[in-house]
Amino acid sequence: MSKENTSAPLEYRTHENEMKIFGFWVFLGAEIVLFATLFSVYFALADRTGTGPTGKEIFEMPPVLIETFVLLTSSFLIGLGVHAMRIGRKKAMMVFYIITLLLGLVFLGVEINEFLTYIHDGATITTSAFMSALMTLLGTHGAHVTFGFLWGSAILIQIKRHGLNAKTANKAFIFSLYWHFLDVVWIFIFSFVYLKGVL
Amino acid sequence: MSFDELFAPMKEPMILAAGISIIVGAIAVVAGLTYFKKWGWLYKNWLTTVDHKKIGVMYVFVALIMLFRGGIDALLMRAQTAIPENGLLNSEHYNEIFTTHGLIMILFMAMPFIIGLMNIVVPLQIGARDVAFPRLNALSFWLFAAGAGLLNVSFVIGGSPNAGWTAYFPLAGTEFNPGVGNNYYAWALQISGIGTLMTGINFITTIFKMRAPGMKLMKMPMFTWSALITNVIITFAFPVLTVALALMTLDRQFGTKFFAMQDGGMDMMWANLFWVWGHPEVYIVILPAFGIYSEIIATFARKNLYGYKSMVMSMVIISLLSFMVWAHHFYTMGHGVMVNGVFSTTTMLIAVPTGVKIFNWLLTMRHGKIQFTTPMLYALAFIPIFTIGGVTGVMLAMASADYQYHNTMFLVAHFHYVLIPGVVFGVLAGYHYWWPKIFGFRLNEKLGKSAFWFIILGFNIAFFPLFILGLDGYARRMYTYSADTGYGPLNMVSFLGALMMGVGFILLCYNIYYSFRHSPRETTGDPWDARSLEWATHSPVPEYNFAVVPKINQLDEYWFAKKEGRDITAGEYERIHMPNNSSAPMWMAGVMFLFAFFFVFSVWAGVIVFGLATLGFLAYRSFEKDDGHYIEVAEIVETERRLGGEQ
Amino acid sequence: MKELFPKEHVLGFVGSLLLTLAALTVIMFKGMSNGLAMTILLITAAAQALVQLILFMHIGETDDKKSLYVTIIYAVVVGLITVFGTLLAMVWGY
Repeated sequence: MSKENTSAPLEYRTHENEMKIFGFWVFLGAEIVLFATLFSVYFALADRTGTGPTGKEIFEMPPVLIETFVLLTSSFLIGLGVHAMRIGRKKAMMVFYIITLLLGLVFLGVEINEFLTYIHDGATITTSAFMSALMTLLGTHGAHVTFGFLWGSAILIQIKRHGLNAKTANKAFIFSLYWHFLDVVWIFIFSFVYLKGVL
Repeated sequence: MSFDELFAPMKEPMILAAGISIIVGAIAVVAGLTYFKKWGWLYKNWLTTVDHKKIGVMYVFVALIMLFRGGIDALLMRAQTAIPENGLLNSEHYNEIFTTHGLIMILFMAMPFIIGLMNIVVPLQIGARDVAFPRLNALSFWLFAAGAGLLNVSFVIGGSPNAGWTAYFPLAGTEFNPGVGNNYYAWALQISGIGTLMTGINFITTIFKMRAPGMKLMKMPMFTWSALITNVIITFAFPVLTVALALMTLDRQFGTKFFAMQDGGMDMMWANLFWVWGHPEVYIVILPAFGIYSEIIATFARKNLYGYKSMVMSMVIISLLSFMVWAHHFYTMGHGVMVNGVFSTTTMLIAVPTGVKIFNWLLTMRHGKIQFTTPMLYALAFIPIFTIGGVTGVMLAMASADYQYHNTMFLVAHFHYVLIPGVVFGVLAGYHYWWPKIFGFRLNEKLGKSAFWFIILGFNIAFFPLFILGLDGYARRMYTYSADTGYGPLNMVSFLGALMMGVGFILLCYNIYYSFRHSPRETTGDPWDARSLEWATHSPVPEYNFAVVPKINQLDEYWFAKKEGRDITAGEYERIHMPNNSSAPMWMAGVMFLFAFFFVFSVWAGVIVFGLATLGFLAYRSFEKDDGHYIEVAEIVETERRLGGEQ
Repeated sequence: MKELFPKEHVLGFVGSLLLTLAALTVIMFKGMSNGLAMTILLITAAAQALVQLILFMHIGETDDKKSLYVTIIYAVVVGLITVFGTLLAMVWGY
C-alpha cells in the first residue's frame, strides 16, 4: 500500500496521501451541506426582522467589496502556491502561502469591524431572527477562516522545518482545497446575502 | 447554579437509586480491573487501539449497555401506563424517560451497533487491512462514547432533557425548559454527531479506495454496498444536525432568536431542520440492516442474492428520496395543500424501492434449502413484521388522514414496527452471524433461538395493541390516563409484552457467558459455509486481516473458489505496514467531554481551557511523527500457523 | 518568474473578478426586475464556484474524478433540496 507512484505530484505520491485528498473532498461535500443549511435558515428568516433593522438598512457595500476582493486574491495566490510547490519552488510557494494567510487576516479584520459597526448601531445577534441568522452565517464562515489561518500557519512551520516531501506537500495541498472552498462560500454570501439584501 | 440544584435530580428516590447503582457499578469495574491486574491489558489492547475490529467490538459493547439503559426506560414507561392513574412515575420523570429512551435507542444504541458492525465487517469484506483513517476511526468511537457519557451523566447531575427526543421549540426553549437538560441534549448529540460524520467520511474513503484488486463496485458484497450508501447519507445529513444543534445552543445559551416566539423567530424551523436530518437518519439505521439481511438470507438459503443490481439501485434511490420527505413529520403544522401534497407523494414513492427489496429477499429464498439458524430466524421474522410497519407508514403518508393519526400511539406503534424489525432484529442477526468471526466460537443456537422467540413474541404483544389504542385516540407521551378511557386492558397487555422482550434480552446476554464457557472453538474460519470475503480469513481475525490480499474476479468470489477448490488467500507473504496505536483519541474525546460539560453549565472558564486543549490536540496531531510499523514475514508465518493449523 | 504564473490560474483570477463585476450590475442598474437580478446572481455565483473547482482545485486531475464529481454533485443536490425544501415548507407553502 505504501508503494510510491513517482510520476504523480508529490502530494499524491503514496496511497495514504491519495486517500487523504479523497477523504478531504468528501469532507468538503459535508461542508457544502453545512453551509447550505445555514443559508436555508438565513433565507427563511431574512425578512423576519422584528423590531430590528433590515438588511437594506445595515449592509454597506464598500467593506464587503474589499472582503470579496481580498478573498478572491488570496484564493488565486494559494493556487499559485500549489503550482509553485509542484515545480519544486519551495520558497515561492511559502511566499504565496504567507501572503494568502495575511490576506485572510485582512479579511477577518474587515469582518470584525463590520460586526462592531452592527453592534454599535444596536443590531446584535439577539436583536431579531434576521440578525441571529446573519451573524451566525457570517460568523461560521469567519470561524472557518480563523481556523484556516491557524492550520495554514502550522503547515508552513512544518514545511520550513522539514522541506517539501510527500507528507508536507500533501498537507499543503489539502489546505489549499479548504481555502478555495471558503472562497466559494464567500461568493455565495456576497451574492445572496449582501447583493440580494440591498436590491 | 448552586450545588443543591446541581444534584437536585437525586432527590427522587428512583434516580438516586440509579445514581448509586452507576457509582457502585463503576467502583466494581475499577476494583475488578485492579484486582486482576488488567489495566495495562485494557489500555494496550483496547483503549488505545486503532484496529477496526476492536473498535467495532467496543461500539457493539457500548451499544449493548445502552440497549439496557434504553430498555429500562421503556419498561418503566410501560409499567407506568400499565394501569390507569398509576403513580409509579410522576409526570416530570416520565417526560425525562421517554426523551432519553428515544435519544438513547436511536443515537446511542442503533447507531453505534450498526457502525460497530460496519467497522468489523466492511474492511474484511473488501479485503482491506484497516479503514482509510484508523486514527480518525478511534476518535469517532471515543467521541461517540463521550456523547453517550454526557447524556447519561445528565440523569444525575443537573437533570435530563425532557422535551422529547425531537425537542421541539418552544417547549425546548429556555422559557418552558429553564434547566440544563436540553443543553445536555444539544451537546451530547453534537459531540457524538461529529464522531459519526467522521465515520461517514472514513468509510466512504475506505470503500472507494481500499478494495481488493479486481473488486469493482458491482462486485462488492451487499452489506458493503449498504454501508457505502449509509455513509453517504451520514456525510450529507449530519451537517444539518450539527447546524440545528448549534442554533439550539445559541438560542438557549446566548439568547438568539432562531426558534423564538418573538422578534421574528420561527419555532417550527427547529422541527424543519431536525427532520431534514431526522428522516435520512431513519435510513441510516435501516439500510445497513437491509445489507445484513441480504448477506444472511443468501447464506442460509444457499443461493446467490436475487436481483443484485436492483438491490443496489433501490438503495441509491432510497438515499436520494430520503432527503425529500422530511415535512411528512409535521403535516399538521398547517402547510397549504401543495406542500403536504409534494411531501405526501415523495413519501409514498419511497415505499417502492423498499418493496423491491422485500421481493428480492423472498425470491432469493424461493427454491432455496433454507437453514433455520438464529440469524436466519431474525431475517425471516423481519420480512412480515417490517411489512406491517411499512404499510402503516403508507397510511401515515397520506397527509389528510395523518391528522387522525398524528401524535397518537398509532404513530408510536408504526415506527416501532419499522425500527425494531428493521434495525434491532437486523443488528441482532448480524451480531449472531459475525460473532464467530471475531471471537472464534459460535453463540449457542438453542439459547439464541429461545431469546429470539421471547423477543419476537414480546415485541408483537407489546406493540400491536398500540395500533388499536392509537386509533382509539390514545395520545403519545401522556404519563397517565383515567380508567374511563378504557385504555387500561390493552396497556396492560403491552406491558406484559415488554416484560417478555426484557426476558429475551437477558437470555441474549446470558448466551454470551454460556457460549464462552461451553461452545466448541471454531477452526475453519467459515462456520456457516458463507459467501463473502470476510469468511476467507481465520477466526479470530489476525491484526492484518489477510496475510495475502485476495484477487477478486466476480461477486461471491470466495464461494465459487470454495466450490472449485481454489484457495484465494494463497500467495507469497510480504511484510505488512500497519498503523500504530495511540492514546490521543481517547484523551481528546475526554477533553471534549469536559468542554461540553462546562458548556452545558455555561462555565466559560472551563469552556475556554478545554476548548484550547482540543485545539492543542489537533496541533499535536499535525506536528506528530507517526509512520506506523511493519509486521515482518516471520511473524506472519508464525501467526498463520497458530491460527490455521497447517497452512 | 513567469513559470510561477501559469495561464489557467491568471485567466481564472481575471474571470472571477469579471464575474464579480457582472454580479455587481444587479445593484448598479436600478429598476432591474427581481427575477432577472436573481438569475444573474445564480449564474455568476455558480460560474465562480466552477472556476474555483476546476481551475484552482483541479477536481478532475486524478483517476478518482468520477467519484469526486458524484460526491460534489450529490452534496450540491442535497444542499439545494435543503434550501428550497425549507423555503417551500416554511415560507412559500402557507
